Amino acid sequence: MNQTSGLYVAGESFFHRMDAAVKLILLLTWTVVTFLFMDLRVFVVMLAGGVTMLLLARVPFRKMALLFWALMVFTVINSIFILLITPRFGTTLTGSDTPFIPLGYDTINAETLFYVLTLSLKYLTLLPITLLFIFTTHPSRFAASLNKLGVPYKLAYAVSIAFRYIPDLTKEFRTILNALQMRGLGISRGDGTLLQRARNVTQAVVPLLQSSLQRIESVSDAMDLRGFGTRPQRTWYMGTVMKGSDKLIALLCVVLLATGVGLKQSLLQGFWYPFG
Amino acid sequence: MQPVITFRHFSFRYKNQSEPTLKNIHLEIARGEKIWIAGPSGSGKSTLAHCINGLIPFSYGGEISGQLLLEGQDASAMTIFERSRRVGTILQNPDAQFVGQTVGEDVAFQLENEATPQDVMKEAVFSALDVVGMRAFEARGPHELSGGQKQQVSLAGVLSTQADILLFDEPLANLDPASGAKAMRLIDEIHRNQGKTVILIEHRVEDVLLEHIDRVVVMNEGEIAAIGTPDELLAAGILPQYGLRQPLYLDALSHAGLSLSNFTDLTDPASLRLQEPVGMPNGAREGNGQGGSERMKDNDAKITDDGDGHRIQDDRERTGASELQLRERLETWAASVPPVVRSSAGEPLLELRGVSFAYEPGTNAVEDVSLTVRAGETVALLGSNGAGKSTLSGLITGLLKPSRGEILLSGEVINGWSIRRRGEAIGYVMQHPHHMLTQHIVRDEVRIGLAARGVPESERDQRADEALRICGLYPYRNWPVSALSFGQKKRLSIAAILALQPQLMILDEPTAGQDYRHYTEFMEFIAQLAAEGMAFLFITHDMHLALEYADRAAVMAGGRIIAEDTVARILADGDLTARANLRETSLARFAKAQGLTSPSRFVEAFIAAEKKVKRA
Repeated sequence: MNQTSGLYVAGESFFHRMDAAVKLILLLTWTVVTFLFMDLRVFVVMLAGGVTMLLLARVPFRKMALLFWALMVFTVINSIFILLITPRFGTTLTGSDTPFIPLGYDTINAETLFYVLTLSLKYLTLLPITLLFIFTTHPSRFAASLNKLGVPYKLAYAVSIAFRYIPDLTKEFRTILNALQMRGLGISRGDGTLLQRARNVTQAVVPLLQSSLQRIESVSDAMDLRGFGTRPQRTWYMGTVMKGSDKLIALLCVVLLATGVGLKQSLLQGFWYPFG
Repeated sequence: MQPVITFRHFSFRYKNQSEPTLKNIHLEIARGEKIWIAGPSGSGKSTLAHCINGLIPFSYGGEISGQLLLEGQDASAMTIFERSRRVGTILQNPDAQFVGQTVGEDVAFQLENEATPQDVMKEAVFSALDVVGMRAFEARGPHELSGGQKQQVSLAGVLSTQADILLFDEPLANLDPASGAKAMRLIDEIHRNQGKTVILIEHRVEDVLLEHIDRVVVMNEGEIAAIGTPDELLAAGILPQYGLRQPLYLDALSHAGLSLSNFTDLTDPASLRLQEPVGMPNGAREGNGQGGSERMKDNDAKITDDGDGHRIQDDRERTGASELQLRERLETWAASVPPVVRSSAGEPLLELRGVSFAYEPGTNAVEDVSLTVRAGETVALLGSNGAGKSTLSGLITGLLKPSRGEILLSGEVINGWSIRRRGEAIGYVMQHPHHMLTQHIVRDEVRIGLAARGVPESERDQRADEALRICGLYPYRNWPVSALSFGQKKRLSIAAILALQPQLMILDEPTAGQDYRHYTEFMEFIAQLAAEGMAFLFITHDMHLALEYADRAAVMAGGRIIAEDTVARILADGDLTARANLRETSLARFAKAQGLTSPSRFVEAFIAAEKKVKRA
């Protein structure tokens, strides 16, 4: 029962203490730099860096497992689709064509296989830093930091309030499903065909929507009564002040971005294929 | 002194309604007063609250006529924000109004919106949390708090803003009796220590009267029906006239043929006493004399006329004598009412044998529970929040699997049965009907369960209509569900289960949040089903409910069943109710204060007398 709202896992690491705005800048920089390249070497280096940071933050793996596996499954499925649908796509990038696995209707070539590997690693590069951000940033600090980065506070607070009520709605959804099951509208194996079970789950949608609307009304009443949105600015109870180390990280982000752009311009312009 | 709130010829009509919800309200509330606004649902009391805090007209538009002054200034010229600095509102739903991710943030919310610097804000938050005793919880999230604690946090939130008027909209609706009593005590402390003006909107009479109230405003059909001190209104029997349930011990006095106007200090069962005679020459009876001689006349010859000029000493003796007579009178009455004869219950229907369950290894949420519900029996499972009631019902319905012990249905072990299969024999009715109602049209709501159970098409309509008829919803069978009232929705959720023809129905907090009229209507309907042989298990912290409608009660505390007996005996046992964090019924406290030999006999007599009145 000891769940805090959202996904935040309390901790004492350097990343937990880092200013959320700076952490967001780090995440954005990391993402931009990743998307600049299509080069396995860059991704290996960045992935190693990201994993190291994640390990330093000591977020327990079981907390991250769901997101981790979701992204893995996505990446694998994505790769399979690319390989099956465009088995020779790599050729358009390298100009060479090295047949590798015959498919019958076509042949997967080595270039495409390497392309898929590079692409998967690209996605994976984003994973540790995203997990780091999600699990070490308190949702309220996140709202405060969004606001600090210039996002209007109403929008920033909307993010925070979503984090606040998602667990409530999940619980409510479960309650409704329980009520349905008790009336014979089962959702587990043995309760009918997959289609029937899926249809039973959809029965829960209307009551869930209705109670969400009701909740929105009470929440907005509560917020109105406490003066939300009456001033152009608001302060944040959980707002943090940037420390020296935060400024240093921000500076490093700029350096990283500059290096990335520099590398992209000079050395690593396109898709890196070592066997060509 | 200038009143803090003044209503003059005030009326309000909601935008989409043809009739005004508030009609010609005249009310002045003085600074530092503690006002209780009472009234049945739909009487306009929440609308009145919205007018004070500014949700009307800010969020709910409509037509206002007349005047509303806040601290002498015209409220209509103020924004909701300006009003919120004067009036701090604690809403009914402690969960929805908890907008922060943590306790500290939630308390700080208004200060944040006022752009208060962080250091000032932190200080204000901590001192407000100290007042409500929640400082240790500053970093906790809402999911780690009980309903009562969330409400304390909301209270701290309005205290941090220094608003002078505190407005509580049904603060007790979502709390168990112990948390309710605690909330009332906290409100009272703040009222006394900080000199705030307190306005309480509630329909739960006994719970509000646990603490001192300056004045009661009774609302009915959009108008103020009565204003007075609690004692005045109780003595005049005003509350029952407007669908409010007066304290049970007052009902008991009426059953015993005693007129309430002969008593003083009626708000507290322990201090209630016979009014002293008229014409006392000294100041000993100041404050309770008006109309005394009138009232004395209908006192059935219990206080003999002692003329004027007696000394206090004599008077005390004489009062003592009349107290003795009162006791005798009550004892005689209690003995004269035959206890309700329970129809002998049938075979065991649901049996739990040594059932345990743990969410986390090591700490059992339910520990070695054994319980039997027989066919045709009505059992109340009583306990405060966190006693393990919900876990136990989860185990019965199959949502949870016991780690130890057996669950039997008509003698057969059902531990391995799925939720769906158990649902055929055990119908579970949730507290909130909106968790159960999924269809657009009333009749479809009943039919969908029948379809899922494989009832042939031809039979579905017939069984659905029959269930709807029993629940009094047949005329509405083609209505959209959303057009039904709360009580009707509640009955529809029963009809949906009833059509499946279970042998036992579990009702989770069946009357929560309903006013006395709706409560009685609904429970009388349940009592009829019970009389026709349906077995019921009520899961509740409402002692009145158990008292009046259950044959037997089992009390849960700390995951165990600590007592199982007739309801009267359980609720008259002060130690037991204290251990279970429940509240001893006011009837028992009254009986003890009067020195009756058997409080539980008195409670039993009350139950029997009430049944006679209701079923008459």
